[in-house]
Amino acid sequence: MTTRSSGTPITHFDAEAIRKDFPILTRTVNGYPLIYLDNAASSQKPLQVLERMDHYYQHNHANVHRGVHTLSQEATELFESARRRIASFIGAPSDSEVIFTRGATESINLVAYTFGLSQLKEGDEIMLSGMEHHSNIIPWQIVCGMKNAAIKVIPVLEDGTLDLDWFLKNLTSRTKLVSVAHVSNALGTINPVKDIIRMAHAQGFPVLLDGAQAAPHMDINVSELDVDFYVFSSHKMYGPTGMGILFGKASWLNILPPWQGGGEMIKEVKWAGTTYNTIPFKYEAGTPDIAGAIGLAAACDYIDQLDRVAMAQYEHTLLAYCTDAMESIPGVRTIGTAAHKASVYSFVIKGLHPYDIGTILDQQGIAVRTGHHCTQPLMDRFGIPGTTRASFAIYNTMGEIEKLLQATHKAIKILS
Amino acid sequence: MDTRATQINAEQDSVIDEFSQFTGWSDRYEYLIDLGKALPPLNEKYKTDFHLVKGCQSKVWLHAEVKEDRLFLSADSDTVITKGIIALLIRVLGGQKLAEIEHADLYFIDAIGLKSHLSPTRSNGLTSMIQLIKSYTRHLPEPAQTDSENEPTDKRELMIAQIKEVYDPEIPVDIWELGLIYSLDIDQAGKVKVTMTLTSPACPVAGSLPLEVQEKLLLLPFVTDVELTLVWDPPWQKERMTDVARMALDMF
Repeated sequence: MTTRSSGTPITHFDAEAIRKDFPILTRTVNGYPLIYLDNAASSQKPLQVLERMDHYYQHNHANVHRGVHTLSQEATELFESARRRIASFIGAPSDSEVIFTRGATESINLVAYTFGLSQLKEGDEIMLSGMEHHSNIIPWQIVCGMKNAAIKVIPVLEDGTLDLDWFLKNLTSRTKLVSVAHVSNALGTINPVKDIIRMAHAQGFPVLLDGAQAAPHMDINVSELDVDFYVFSSHKMYGPTGMGILFGKASWLNILPPWQGGGEMIKEVKWAGTTYNTIPFKYEAGTPDIAGAIGLAAACDYIDQLDRVAMAQYEHTLLAYCTDAMESIPGVRTIGTAAHKASVYSFVIKGLHPYDIGTILDQQGIAVRTGHHCTQPLMDRFGIPGTTRASFAIYNTMGEIEKLLQATHKAIKILS
Repeated sequence: MDTRATQINAEQDSVIDEFSQFTGWSDRYEYLIDLGKALPPLNEKYKTDFHLVKGCQSKVWLHAEVKEDRLFLSADSDTVITKGIIALLIRVLGGQKLAEIEHADLYFIDAIGLKSHLSPTRSNGLTSMIQLIKSYTRHLPEPAQTDSENEPTDKRELMIAQIKEVYDPEIPVDIWELGLIYSLDIDQAGKVKVTMTLTSPACPVAGSLPLEVQEKLLLLPFVTDVELTLVWDPPWQKERMTDVARMALDMF
């Protein structure tokens, strides 16, 4: 039922071989070969993922969990085996703890509403950090507004790390949950999440990790982390858009109320009341994104066939090379200088606006992200309107970073 | 579309002619940036929220004046490429007759390949800037004056009229009569502060009603910004409804 992988098996880390799996990388932009350095926003998709989804639609599609007919059973089996595949990818103890959502944003909203509305009382506190994506701020603001609860923010230090001393000092009996990024999307900082979880659990409250930027780059093991909720998006880790995951410990998911109502999430519906299905179905109202789930499972397969250690080393080499090269340009300032970083390089250039830099880089075929990266409070903290951000994936090369360097020199020449 | 030989078209043609001399994109950009740098500086007193163009991701301040049936423009931006684009617009439209600006067909933008080189966000910004300039030919808004005593009341009535267009979907009474608005203020810069509640914290439209209020208020020309605070304390009670609302709901 699965399509044969069209790429060459990779035994050592070979970015050139990997590039062949990503058809989009052969196109040109504004007359230049595409250099795609906006992977923290969304990564490109390998043939292995595209073909698996295409195969599903051409051969197995029907609605899941409903029909007795063959196609419905095939689709259900593919969908549920995708769930098992993703559960094993993140080391989840049980696949019933893996909920399909539309993305990390929806996963956080699910927890914010179900946990917030059932567990928070007036005067309670939710702890976030100063480097959160808006997706991990707004849902809490809405829910805390409804419950008259407060949000406390762990400060970000000058190097882009979290002030853990402050965190420890400010944990109180009113703290009900801490929700932080595993890896910062704007700075690349890898947060000491094991320490945060240990400290939080010592006080008896749960932790949500926003793993949107971690999942594409590092081994995630939710059992080892002992994390209560872990969320990530498929499209940032070589999978399709519109698909995301919420891992939640069964002990939490079983006691939290349902969120969206609809088909699939119910056991019995009567006008007098409805009994809800067990997890994970309790949180999956309506027909799910079946092809999306299959595509994400294919992305997990794709990542797992790579040498994960070599991959992490390679991405780290790209980041270190880029950081050194860019810092050699007069006027360039790196934003986010933590010792432990994922492959995100954010910078500002004295006197130049990120939008202008991004425009001139685009003219030269280079895709970077410019602006506040949905982290306005973080930009305010550094006193800048935004940054230019180059973020790397497994298919980027040293040659591309060389071109980024030349293109940046050209941008400075044109814009100054 | 107006293809008569207007001053605007003559200026557009000369811009097209200048840009046709460049073969590479970098020359075009360098020229655009030079035009931006040559733009006369905008008086600092106009760099206020009132003069910020909505719909631009970068900051653009635009000041317009009408003198003897002609529109005079001055502007600034925090990004040099945007500033260059504004400089082109001012060169083509600045100082021209109101009627001609209102009906101008700005064909030079496509002709010099400007739009194809702009990101969608910049392109949207350019469109909203052109719409704004054209709207100035019909009505030139003035920032709120501090010395006018009567004006705030008029504004308040206009704001209330806008709010009265918003309905709680389950109740046939507008939210003003329902008493969901706790406070409504506007400052001199046109920034509105609203405090409101909903009939219940579990209200399924919690997300959409405040947004609707915000959108309705922003439609008023003198409103530059709306800061809306949703509160649950004090909770809404039936007693907060006006008599009109009670009549409508048959509560008397």
